[in-house]
Amino acid sequence: MLQCIFLLSDSGEVMLEKQLTGHRVDRSICDWFWDHVISQGDSFKSQPVIASPTHYLFQVVREGITFLACTQVEMPPLMGIEFLCRVSDVLSDYLGGLNEDVIKDNFVIVYELLDEMIDNGFPLTTEPNILREMIAPPNIVSKVLSVVTGNSSNVSDTLPGATGSCIPWRAADPKYANNEVYVDLVEEMDAVINRDGALVKCEVYGEVRVNSHLSGLPDLTLSFANPSILDDVRFHPCVRFRPWESHQILSFVPPDGEFKLMSYRVKKLKSTPIYVKPQLSSDAGKCRVNVLVGIRNDHGKTIDSITLQFQLPPCILSADLTSNTGTVNILGNKTCSWSIGRIPKDKTPSLSGTLVLESELERLHVFPTFRVGFKIMGVALSGLQIDKLDLKTAPSRLYKGFRALTRAGEFEVRS
Amino acid sequence: MAPPAQSQRSQSPSQPSGKSEVSDLKLQLRQLAGSRAPGVDDSKRELFKKVISYMTIGIDVSSLFGEMVMCSTTSDIVLKKMCYLYVGNYAKVNPDLALLTINFLQRDCHDQDPMIRGLALRSLCSLRVANLVEYLVGPLGSGLKDSNSYVRMVAVIGVLKLYHISASTCVDADFPSTLKHLMLNDSDTQVVANCLSSLQEIWSAEASTSEEASREREALISKPVIYYLLNRIKEFSEWAQCLVLELVTKYVPSESSEIFDIMNLLEDRLQHANGAVVLATVKVFLQLTLSMTDVHQQVYERIKAPLLTLVSSGSPEQSYAVLSHLHLLVMRAPYVFSSDYKHFYCQYNEPSYVKRLKLEMLTAVANESNTYEIVTELCEYAANVDIPIARESIRAVGKIALQQYDVNAIVDRLLQFLEMEKDYVTAEALVLVKDLLRKYPQWSHDCIAVVGNISSKNVQEPKAKAALIWMLGEYSQDMQDAPYILESLVENWDEEHSAEVRLHLLTAVMKCFFKRPPETQSALGAALAAGVADFHQDVHDRALFYYRILRYNVSVAERVVNPPKQAVSVFADTQSSEIKDRIFDEFNSLSVLYQKPSYMFTDKEHRGPLEFADELGNLSIGEAADNVVSSQRVEENDKDLLLTTAEKEETRAGHSQQASFGIDDLLGLGMPAVPNVPSPPQLKLNTKAALDPSTFQQKWRQLPIALSQELSLSPQAVAALTAPQALLRHMQSHSIHCIASGGQSPNFKFFFFAQKYEESSNYLVECIINTSSGKAQVKVKADDQSTSQAFSTLFESALSKFGTP
Repeated sequence: MLQCIFLLSDSGEVMLEKQLTGHRVDRSICDWFWDHVISQGDSFKSQPVIASPTHYLFQVVREGITFLACTQVEMPPLMGIEFLCRVSDVLSDYLGGLNEDVIKDNFVIVYELLDEMIDNGFPLTTEPNILREMIAPPNIVSKVLSVVTGNSSNVSDTLPGATGSCIPWRAADPKYANNEVYVDLVEEMDAVINRDGALVKCEVYGEVRVNSHLSGLPDLTLSFANPSILDDVRFHPCVRFRPWESHQILSFVPPDGEFKLMSYRVKKLKSTPIYVKPQLSSDAGKCRVNVLVGIRNDHGKTIDSITLQFQLPPCILSADLTSNTGTVNILGNKTCSWSIGRIPKDKTPSLSGTLVLESELERLHVFPTFRVGFKIMGVALSGLQIDKLDLKTAPSRLYKGFRALTRAGEFEVRS
Repeated sequence: MAPPAQSQRSQSPSQPSGKSEVSDLKLQLRQLAGSRAPGVDDSKRELFKKVISYMTIGIDVSSLFGEMVMCSTTSDIVLKKMCYLYVGNYAKVNPDLALLTINFLQRDCHDQDPMIRGLALRSLCSLRVANLVEYLVGPLGSGLKDSNSYVRMVAVIGVLKLYHISASTCVDADFPSTLKHLMLNDSDTQVVANCLSSLQEIWSAEASTSEEASREREALISKPVIYYLLNRIKEFSEWAQCLVLELVTKYVPSESSEIFDIMNLLEDRLQHANGAVVLATVKVFLQLTLSMTDVHQQVYERIKAPLLTLVSSGSPEQSYAVLSHLHLLVMRAPYVFSSDYKHFYCQYNEPSYVKRLKLEMLTAVANESNTYEIVTELCEYAANVDIPIARESIRAVGKIALQQYDVNAIVDRLLQFLEMEKDYVTAEALVLVKDLLRKYPQWSHDCIAVVGNISSKNVQEPKAKAALIWMLGEYSQDMQDAPYILESLVENWDEEHSAEVRLHLLTAVMKCFFKRPPETQSALGAALAAGVADFHQDVHDRALFYYRILRYNVSVAERVVNPPKQAVSVFADTQSSEIKDRIFDEFNSLSVLYQKPSYMFTDKEHRGPLEFADELGNLSIGEAADNVVSSQRVEENDKDLLLTTAEKEETRAGHSQQASFGIDDLLGLGMPAVPNVPSPPQLKLNTKAALDPSTFQQKWRQLPIALSQELSLSPQAVAALTAPQALLRHMQSHSIHCIASGGQSPNFKFFFFAQKYEESSNYLVECIINTSSGKAQVKVKADDQSTSQAFSTLFESALSKFGTP
């Protein structure tokens, strides 16, 4: 049971306060919280659940905005954390991104949303689809409309039908001239390569995203060619459990619009699409760096936007790094970033140079971790393949589309 | 015709300079109030927006209340919402003006649009003004019967709000039973869920006074209700599912087939996208199978994958919460997760609170088969840029070594750390090597060779230095240079700031002396001389003790200081298993995150002593002035009190250190604080004093603390205090009456009061007794400050007689 929600800007200013119960939480808690955050260094480092002298605080930081919730009673911790995460998702969805200005400009909408999302400290509905029907987002269309019609209310006149229907995620009976449904496989590869160059861990976290614009109450089934490779799966509430349990078929009535149908993990993959070989050798107060990047397995698809980032250890005085491909930048906080883009056919990209250590140091003891980024369109590296998508009582004209994409997630190479 | 208000788009509000803006707004609102001009809603909206934005940044705009209400006649729903928001915020401080809003809110409760009906009802219940409750009953009653589920849903929560404003009104209107009917019959699951949460709260609060309410509360966890809710669980919103699942954990099935039915029904909840639902389901599974050992183990296997998924796919905040729970589980079933150790490898980008938990997990899951790989991974973190994490990972390696798996390889690694020439790595490794040697003396040969190469000048951290010195003393026979290193350390005695290091140095020199007397003799002399002259009490005492025992008999001294040691088999666990079990019962709650059972942090008693300890420090100096200082500390409200506690909590560490320096002061603690005060005139108390609880509460809030102290209880008193009642009767015989008491062994809390004979001057006492430590924390407040000392003496003597026949 949450008692109050605050939104704080990145300077600790209270941008919004929403009291939820009869017990009023004084704003001074925010001052306490901010002092606490400062004492921890930065808010990213302080724990998501903190005990202040008067309240237990949940904090979630997104894009510099701190979502802070207070309670005085015992409650499931994930309920607080998940709820705040949802609030930030919904707000960023509504306002087209999160930042201080956009929240201050639209605080009335934020209040309205919070009003519907939580009452008396208990979360009600956080489904974006439903909220959209109660409170229209402040987009350009509605602004234009309001100018034209003179009706500037951003609240729809009707209550969402779904509050009464038994499918809480779907608005009752939308109508489309073009019936379309798109399925995207979006995968992120997490990998850790240790100092000896061995692949310690390689996994893919994937999501099946669906964008559906279908009339009536469509009943869809989606099946995979190789569902057995999936390890842990999590479903949108619309997915029926039994068909999955018995035949690994996803059977569902989709929400309208875009949503995440399912997330999964594929573990114990054997190889990564690219390799990164860092070499550091230090001697007499200097450290030679040499990093090679190349394609390991050819998937037949081009690998795009390859980047490499690493933090220079604090004991380094200066760095002189050059590359034969792409550009190298060293940012103010000693982050070095090398953007390669595509790997050229004729040469292997390499980064080399020297680091000058602090005067007393002979050798380097702290080694940087290289974080790798890449993007491959058109392939799901886990190997997951969609078999078919069927619609019960298909309308006469139905467009189906499938796409796949793999990105680097937490892909790190230690040196 | 009103002039259109300034039509500039609302920019992000800047800090207004003063009151002029507010009065300006007031004027503009007043002009718009009666206007029906076209476009007036737009101007109102701009103004309202301004008012709300002022309110949001914390400027008091309550003076606009009247104008806002006047402007509230509108059909524009956004305007209405802003107005509701404003009214909800300020009605409590403006109870008289709040009456003005009742009218339009009640009208809106009959609006055609269900959304407006709902919103109006919600705002009406959020006014929270006690003398307006009569206006709530009607709209709530019709709201509960409304044809639209949105309105019903709002009304149900409204009933709960009403209950908190005025419990009797709510019960008299028979709302609880209406809610019960709705809960079992309504078609909309959100209404059902809201009924459930409201009823739980209402009946729990009522249960202490009404037997019927406690029966009703029990009925919520009866089979028909639970089954009814479970069968509809998929229709509930994710948050409502959490609520239902929480209720199910309290249900005790009558036979095992029921358990399996429930688990089958809920199995797919483990795949839910919302982590809160998953964790609530996990709790149901664990609780249901507690008595069935085999199934319980299978449950661990079943819940493992969903939990690990939550860790790796959620936001860092979610991972943190889930990892805390995993940590709890792994303590009970380490083998379950031992093959999944790779899930707990740290990623570079993770926040340190997640990394720290992962390191703990890695230590917990380490076993024979995976130790090598885990330690290899941990060693990579030692070179991490994040120094605190690097330290923690070295410590983790040490902990694993102490678990006895593959010690050989680990010792090699630790010794490599020592050679890394990084001060913090060396420091952590030294401490670990010391612990290892205490457990595995057989490794001393390898370790000592490496440790001997470390120059004590490169070790600065007290803990590490102490560890090094301990090893020098313990293994001085194997280390060529030991006496000379110790000697040089003794020479720099004055530069050594840590008392811990100086204590270790004394002991090490002694040990070294027994093994290599001729080489150490001069160092020992110097050390004892320096020690006896040391200003730190412990160091001084130890030096003196060594000196005297040496003079008495050297061989006795050796038996005392350097007896043959047994290897330590188990290091003491920091947490008792009882507490761990307690936390396990509170799975899926904040307790798990704090690693403390909830009574240890939600009860104020557990926070109280810190404050007293501090005030006690002041008292022990024995100056009357301190009493004045503490009595000036006005406890305006509970919150302030607690806030100050926290500040003290931070300074406490420093304070206690100070206290230990001044041993003489410390000794003063045991004595009552009376001696320095001239003996007060005898105080006589009214034997038939009376005070009603609300007056007590009010006075307790208003009065400053006159006195606060810690008293020791006699063992008899502790033995007699099995239940609070015993003490109540005893104190009553001394004309000190109890107004409230509570707690369970070992913590009891009492509120006492007493009245001066033939005067209406009251004394209020808060007394927190911990029977395990035999201490009582006493806070006294008095109408008449001058006699509070006398009363406190009286109270103390009464308390001291407790338990004596």
